[in-house]
Amino acid sequence: MSLPKDIYRTLEDIVGTENISDDPAILDSYRYSLAHTAIHLGPFYDTCTPRGAAVLMPGSTEEVQAIVKLCNKHKIKFKASSTFWSAQGYPSEDGAIQLDMRRMDRILDIDEKNMFAVIEPGVIGATLQAEAMKVGLNTHLPGSGCSCSILAGATSYFGSGPSNLYGGWHYDNLLGLEWVMPTGDILRTGSLGAGCGWFCGEGPGPSMKGVARGFLGAKGAMGVFTKCAVKLFAWPGPATLPTEGTIPAYRVKLPDNFKAYTVAFPSWKAWADAAYMIWDTGIGYLAHRQFNMFGRELKHAMVKILTDPTKTLSDLETLLEDPEVQRITEESMRDFQIILVGMTQRDIEWQDKAFDEILARTGGWKVEAMLEPEIHDWSMLYLIRLGHKNLNLVFGGSYDGCFGLLGAADFGAAHAEEASEFKKEWEKHGAVVQAGGDCMMGPIGGQGGGGTCLWENFTCFDPHDKESVEGTLALFDAATAMGIDRGWGVGMEKWNAVARGPDGKTTPKEERDRMHKDTPQPSMFRYQHKVREALNPNDLGDAYYETLED
Amino acid sequence: MDARRAGLTDIVGAAGVVDKPEMRNTFSLEHHLAAPLSPCFAVRPKNVNEVQQIVRWANETGTPLIPVSSGAPHFRGDTIPSVPEAVIVDLSSMKRILKIDRRNRLVLIEPGVIYGPLQQALREEGLRLISPLLPRKNKSVLAGLLEREPVMSPRYQWNLLEPLRSLEIVWGNGDVFFSGSGTFRGEEQADWDEGRVPLQGPGPGQLDYYKLVSAAQGSMGIVTWASVKCEVLPHAHKLFFVPSDRLEALIDFTYKLLKLRFGDELFIVNRTYLSYILPSSPTEIDVQREALPAWTVVVGISGGHMLADERIEAREEDIRDIAQQFGLKMVPALGSIAGSTLSDIIQQPSAQPYWKLRYKGGSQEIFFLTTLDKTPAFIDIVQATAQQEQYPAQDIGVYLQLVHQGVGCHCEFILPFDPHNPDDVKKTQALFYEASHALFRQGAYFSRPYGIWADMVYNADPKTTHVTQQMKDIFDPNRVMNPGKLCF
Amino acid sequence: MALEDFAAQADRCSQCSYCKWIPFDQVKSWRFAKNCPSIAYHNFNSYSARGRYAVTRSLLHGDSAYTDTVRDIAYTCLTCGACDVSCKVCRYNLDPLEMVRELKFRLVEDGQCLDEHLAVIRSLRSDQNTMQQPSSARGAWAEGLDVPLLPADKAEVLFHAGCRFSFDRSLHKTVRAAVTLLRGAGVDIGIMGDWEMCCAGRVYAMGYRDEFERMARANIAAWTRAGVKTVVTSCADGYHAFKRLYPELGSQIEVLHTVEYIARLIEQGRLAFRSEVPMTVTYHDPCHLGRQGEPYVPWDGVEKKIKGQIITYEPPKPRYNGAWGIYDPPREILRSIPGVELVEMERIREYSWCCGAGGGVREAYPEYSSWVASERIEEAKATGAEAMVSACPWCERNFMDAIDAKGETMQVYDIVDLVQRAIAGEA
Ligand SMILES: Cc1cc2nc3c(=O)[nH]c(=O)nc-3n(C[C@H](O)[C@H](O)[C@H](O)COP(=O)(O)OP(=O)(O)OC[C@H]3O[C@@H](n4cnc5c(N)ncnc54)[C@H](O)[C@@H]3O)c2cc1C
Ligand code: SF4
Ligand code: SF4
Repeated sequence: MSLPKDIYRTLEDIVGTENISDDPAILDSYRYSLAHTAIHLGPFYDTCTPRGAAVLMPGSTEEVQAIVKLCNKHKIKFKASSTFWSAQGYPSEDGAIQLDMRRMDRILDIDEKNMFAVIEPGVIGATLQAEAMKVGLNTHLPGSGCSCSILAGATSYFGSGPSNLYGGWHYDNLLGLEWVMPTGDILRTGSLGAGCGWFCGEGPGPSMKGVARGFLGAKGAMGVFTKCAVKLFAWPGPATLPTEGTIPAYRVKLPDNFKAYTVAFPSWKAWADAAYMIWDTGIGYLAHRQFNMFGRELKHAMVKILTDPTKTLSDLETLLEDPEVQRITEESMRDFQIILVGMTQRDIEWQDKAFDEILARTGGWKVEAMLEPEIHDWSMLYLIRLGHKNLNLVFGGSYDGCFGLLGAADFGAAHAEEASEFKKEWEKHGAVVQAGGDCMMGPIGGQGGGGTCLWENFTCFDPHDKESVEGTLALFDAATAMGIDRGWGVGMEKWNAVARGPDGKTTPKEERDRMHKDTPQPSMFRYQHKVREALNPNDLGDAYYETLED
Repeated sequence: MDARRAGLTDIVGAAGVVDKPEMRNTFSLEHHLAAPLSPCFAVRPKNVNEVQQIVRWANETGTPLIPVSSGAPHFRGDTIPSVPEAVIVDLSSMKRILKIDRRNRLVLIEPGVIYGPLQQALREEGLRLISPLLPRKNKSVLAGLLEREPVMSPRYQWNLLEPLRSLEIVWGNGDVFFSGSGTFRGEEQADWDEGRVPLQGPGPGQLDYYKLVSAAQGSMGIVTWASVKCEVLPHAHKLFFVPSDRLEALIDFTYKLLKLRFGDELFIVNRTYLSYILPSSPTEIDVQREALPAWTVVVGISGGHMLADERIEAREEDIRDIAQQFGLKMVPALGSIAGSTLSDIIQQPSAQPYWKLRYKGGSQEIFFLTTLDKTPAFIDIVQATAQQEQYPAQDIGVYLQLVHQGVGCHCEFILPFDPHNPDDVKKTQALFYEASHALFRQGAYFSRPYGIWADMVYNADPKTTHVTQQMKDIFDPNRVMNPGKLCF
Repeated sequence: MALEDFAAQADRCSQCSYCKWIPFDQVKSWRFAKNCPSIAYHNFNSYSARGRYAVTRSLLHGDSAYTDTVRDIAYTCLTCGACDVSCKVCRYNLDPLEMVRELKFRLVEDGQCLDEHLAVIRSLRSDQNTMQQPSSARGAWAEGLDVPLLPADKAEVLFHAGCRFSFDRSLHKTVRAAVTLLRGAGVDIGIMGDWEMCCAGRVYAMGYRDEFERMARANIAAWTRAGVKTVVTSCADGYHAFKRLYPELGSQIEVLHTVEYIARLIEQGRLAFRSEVPMTVTYHDPCHLGRQGEPYVPWDGVEKKIKGQIITYEPPKPRYNGAWGIYDPPREILRSIPGVELVEMERIREYSWCCGAGGGVREAYPEYSSWVASERIEEAKATGAEAMVSACPWCERNFMDAIDAKGETMQVYDIVDLVQRAIAGEA
């Protein structure tokens, strides 16, 4: 569905000829394959999100505002995205305008003293981190890694990752915010709106930042965020990462105040005990169960491949036969990664000692094999830069997480084994990668200072293979049923199923209403509906903003 | 009037309806500035059901409600009715500590819970709450958190609302709602054991409800319980001072500590403020403040869960080294005032009478948010205005409390005055008024806009005002909750 | 291979956009973090490897048809391979560079050509060069050099000058120096003069696979007739064609770039530097010598799934990810030249930024090509270097032109120029 010529021309006047297109091929490169990690719906074989009516790449807030106003005038839906790694950044209905925010990619300021950065949507984690490190600071990176827009994670979707623990998740870190609201009006939150700078997103009085994002964000369905400030935190390391090694086994040797450990525990209870003790003691820079995403049975073999530039996935089976690899795999069954960073020498010594004490009290141990210099330095770099997150999709090109137990450490720990056993049985059907059932990964510390964890059970499959995709969907359906049956709630595999259906388009209203009414507190969707009506009267977003009419 | 009383009595019983309460007994200057209106009743609900019924009743009868959780004196005018015929909803008798969960370091409290008993109960479980500096003895913990009152330990503040987490809210429309992960309210012990607990502040979903009731001065709804994140009770604790004649000399040092997240308690006070918070008589204050350094960074170091002494030792040495790098000295005592003495004082709510009133009987505050580097300029403004208004500059207490891990700084001025001396009142009033405006013009962010500040900030930001009003229309469509406040 | 063979890859591309950035582990700044000139300039997703997979899928599904835009999407790809390197930081079963090439092949097969490229093809057909020059002028660069002229004369080692060096007069000095110093070091080296033919690497990169094959076979035959054992070239394009592409067509000849040979000679003590060359330089890795300079490994296999859905190959497939390109020899040479101080740019080795001359872009999109070069010049300037040194005439020419156009002061040298100076004490 294309735009009327006059509207297209007006849009062209706004952004310039080179920044707008409705060429079908261009539009098709702005569709998302749902036979994929669609975060978190499907997968659906051979389905793409609908084609947009035009793609625009605005270069300023004023341009965005002009576009949004025009959309209101003509009742055209629009959706903005910055780095486009998940389906929620793509329209759900035909004929929408897509805003690709990548041209707005400036780091406007890094306030070294007050420890925050002011950024535009196109700034990705890697570049912000690199610039922050130059002044002794670091940025939190969402678990999707440093390829993603920092603003997107901070404003519009979750933004949780390994450095939550010390860095705070992006929810916490979001300060002042510039928001082109769905009507085209501009709201500046907190101190920014008052003309007092970017340092505070809250207030005056009740905080309208709370309308811009909640626990999650609006997923692109409520206007466009054009600038924001995010809080940074200390980086007591070199001004640039002294990366060495042969691609892809890059690694980094950091000073003695940096330690990367993989630790494992005799039971889930002990695992959770350790998490609580880490939080209570207040140690750690970053903590995540990361490499287990390859699967309990495959992870060490995968580490061997990834740290050796001569190896490929074709070496996997041989490695799995290696008794040493088998021993380490067994040893690191219930593991996680943690990086301790001392702000001073005394600090690291104390943290290290306290961590040893935690291990002693919980019966945990350091996985020695992960301390071999090449592996240690590789995992250090991996976790700090988080630049290998496409490894989520290394096996066949697709993954999504199932279950996604989210809550206190005791919550996931109580059910992790059952969820793994369940998946292990399904793996036998052959549709998904056989990795040992437990492919659960997630932060040890879902928010600043800890407190929660997430157990996302990675399920890897081949998006080109119909049976694989459909088998994965069947697994996910079963996981959802099990989660509901056990009282764990709808698993993360379906978190966004309420927004988009198997045809890539908006889930029918009746279906959405049913799902929303089934939740513990349907009124939250009713309030979102009211907010949507107030702020987005022409309903120019999509069902990713979840609403329920009275 | 009688119909109203009857309606309320139906809900809370006769004993729950109080006529002519002491709600007007306030020392606030704003009270003098604003036309004093008296509420007609105070009503004392005992549980959420009663609160909900009261709010519904208010919607039906068009009665303005003013929720109050703390005891008097009230300072900021937020609990003074701006309209006639208002009913005070006095939540101070809802004061149960519903649950303390050591493992998840959570406490569930009702609005009437005050700091003293709460800290005591937490101590028994090996926990503590990071708290504001010397709250009034009868200050509601929940109200302070909702007001975004700064706390002494910025390092634990992952966001500006910390340590507040999930809430039970009765919106102005009468709807009961759980924010954050409040639907896990842990009624069953099994839920707590399995970690199904109200740990999250944000959300649920795509709105951030607790932000909509925060700093709302009771204008959006009534919070009937909150979960609050606690810290481990330190096994050992030390408090140090880093003094200087010049504030500027302390700023970079403080930034450094913030960056490293060293220092549990961390704030800066001028000599006047420090002398006020020490339990002294007015004459002692006069003597004491002369002996104190012009500016002091107060740094607390504690050792909690693991290897407490080692931690304290490492921190102490590090901070001492850092002080030295900045040409400063970290000392365990300021003259006769030992760190441990101050520590004992600030770990408790204020002794009676409330410390802000001790010097002259009355006190006006000016506070706002900024960044630490900008504070000297703001202090200059207040000093200059004081001179202009002939207010004794040496009486101005200054408190700089870093918030949100140092991204921002709560800048507070205490202006004592004698409420019985009209001239004093007038000068203070003038200073308050002029300085507030001058500060605002220079970029002071009045994030919690009480009284005259509300007009300043909302007039300057029409879009925020409009959206705030739109939210008000959703959650309190009949505008029964504390009308006349903020931009409502 | 046909475009259809990339349908699976198009589905399996994980839409991560890693192909738009240098490997993240190497990001040192905001300014120099991008790797793909094509998307950096055009911005639409379609102009990245990720987008080209999507466009490929769309074309294969019949969802879109050829338009000027589609042609631009295909032909603005420099085939620099930076995307391929970054993609393979995480992926073992995608080959975006091969895919973008295949897309061009398909367009050419379907007659979706650019006039600028067709002019090159005509020149290749008529005069065996890409420069639209008479073949009779090809050998002029070597005038006056006392060097065996193959096939009439015999030599073990053939020096292949390539189209750019042969016809770009201001670059002649470099190849003359190369031949002279190799001969001086005792290498049994010859040239083909007017009989030399284009390597056809550049037309391959434009999408003209058939033309490439025709020329490649002609070259292989000529070498066989001349009895050469080794081909040395100072052109990275030529090196890549000979080293990586020709073996697939049966060539078994040893292929060396001049830098490899010179580094070898230095190591063996066969080249001695007499003069200082006081200069701070930075080295630009040509794509075709660096990340695409890895040796060819024969493979004829099939996809094989293990552990249910892990995609591997039987037998294991060679992995070209830039790990083993030619990066150190040029740096060793520069470090051994007295007086030269080598300072590195942010994007080096396998994650270098392209010069902008490749893939037919210089010919068809001069403005964009010049922008790509100027981005690199900015990066070089940021190091404080006075000169950019490279090992490919295409890179050097593109830099020189961009520098001229912008009135910059940066100097550009081929590495051989500096070696020559150090040996002979002259520029
Ligand atoms: C493989 C993979 C792993 C992931 N892992 C995690 C994880 O560990 N933790 C986590 O929190 N998330 C994770 N996610 C989801 C994730 O939050 C986002 O995908 C990512 O952080 C944001 O990057 P993106 O490229 O998807 O952003 P975008 O495509 O830019 O957008 C993300 C959302 O934000 C909206 N948006 C973006 N920019 C704007 C703007 N300027 N104005 C308004 N709306 C905007 C979009 O419409 C979309 O809904 C993962 C996703 C993938 C694909
Ligand atoms: S080959 Fe170069 S220009 Fe082409 S897509 Fe890859 S990185 Fe971009
Ligand atoms: S081509 Fe590779 S790097 Fe680019 S989006 Fe696809 S998988 Fe990612």
